[in-house]
Amino acid sequence: MTENKRFPELRRKLTPGWWTSNGHYTQYMIREWTSLFVAVFSLVYIYGLSLWVTGSRSAFLDLLKNPGMIAFSFVALIFTLYHATTWFYLLGQVVPVKIGKTTSKPWQALVVNVVLLLVISYLAIWLLVLR
Amino acid sequence: MDTATIRVTRYRPEKDSKPYFQDYKVPYRKDMVVLDALNYIKANIDGSLTYRWSCRMGVCGSCGANVDGTPKLTCASFLHEFKGRTITVEPLPNFPVVKDLVVNMEDFMEKLVKIKPWIIREKETPLEQGEYKQSPEELERYQQFSSCINCMLCYSACPIYGLNEKFLGPAAIALAYRYIEDSRDQGKSLRFPIVHEMEGVWECTLVGECSVVCPKGVDPMLAIQKTKILGATNALRSILMPRGGR
Repeated sequence: MTENKRFPELRRKLTPGWWTSNGHYTQYMIREWTSLFVAVFSLVYIYGLSLWVTGSRSAFLDLLKNPGMIAFSFVALIFTLYHATTWFYLLGQVVPVKIGKTTSKPWQALVVNVVLLLVISYLAIWLLVLR
Repeated sequence: MDTATIRVTRYRPEKDSKPYFQDYKVPYRKDMVVLDALNYIKANIDGSLTYRWSCRMGVCGSCGANVDGTPKLTCASFLHEFKGRTITVEPLPNFPVVKDLVVNMEDFMEKLVKIKPWIIREKETPLEQGEYKQSPEELERYQQFSSCINCMLCYSACPIYGLNEKFLGPAAIALAYRYIEDSRDQGKSLRFPIVHEMEGVWECTLVGECSVVCPKGVDPMLAIQKTKILGATNALRSILMPRGGR
């Protein structure tokens, strides 16, 4: 084994811009980066809820009315939707459901999950707000 | 006959400290592939060009290279698909280059042995008792994963492996899963600790490119996630049912 290593082998490293070399890599990186917005939004929201339960409801509402917060929420919504739909699609790829002889396609998992998301969200809004 | 321009990476460690590109003009017919072009160069233009190949029909898995930026089998990449463009042929990414297009795959060979790619029985039954029977449904659970030809396109397409070569990698895990899912195999307890190491399945973050480039229709990404699910349910079962969990 050492015999054939008389000459140095060429070692190559991934460059920091590796994810721009292929559309799939770029999509993957966007999916990973959007999770940051999901996390930041969740943290802000938990902070807001803590204001709500400790009685400073107006402080929570002021926070929500802040133009910066509105802009951030809008961006976070778009990124969260991208993150959610790509994960729903992946879910269909990695956990295909077999019914009889047919196996589910990833887009079917996407549709089912989006429908479930809408139904559950509506139920939660109905229970907490509309009822 | 059309002419294709092939831009090949040259690296001759005895002479060069850095790799460089060399262009060759190759006449081609519609049925010629990149491997035919490399063979034409070697036979007619430059005998020093070094690359691996054997079957030239997508079975042996030795002629992989980065063709036009994507890991491909050179025997399955038709020249006419790149008509009017220079075709770059580079050694497979993520592996050390020995010479020109030849890479060192020793790392994978060690990983392949590590996952014990053979059927393990707790106790072998004598030959007279016949074969281990398997239903078509049981066969279907692992069949696609047994099609792996160890061509290393998936490792070349995997940025996780590119960033951390300790990662067990797509093909090794797909083959481990092939045996884990085989109804005749009884070696789960031996393979689980290997595939569930930190640099095993849990290193994968679902880039998914391994499954895109596989020339044999194997879906290593699926195998990796299924192994994660098996590991997680196994761990949960051993917590909930410490005595009968396995």
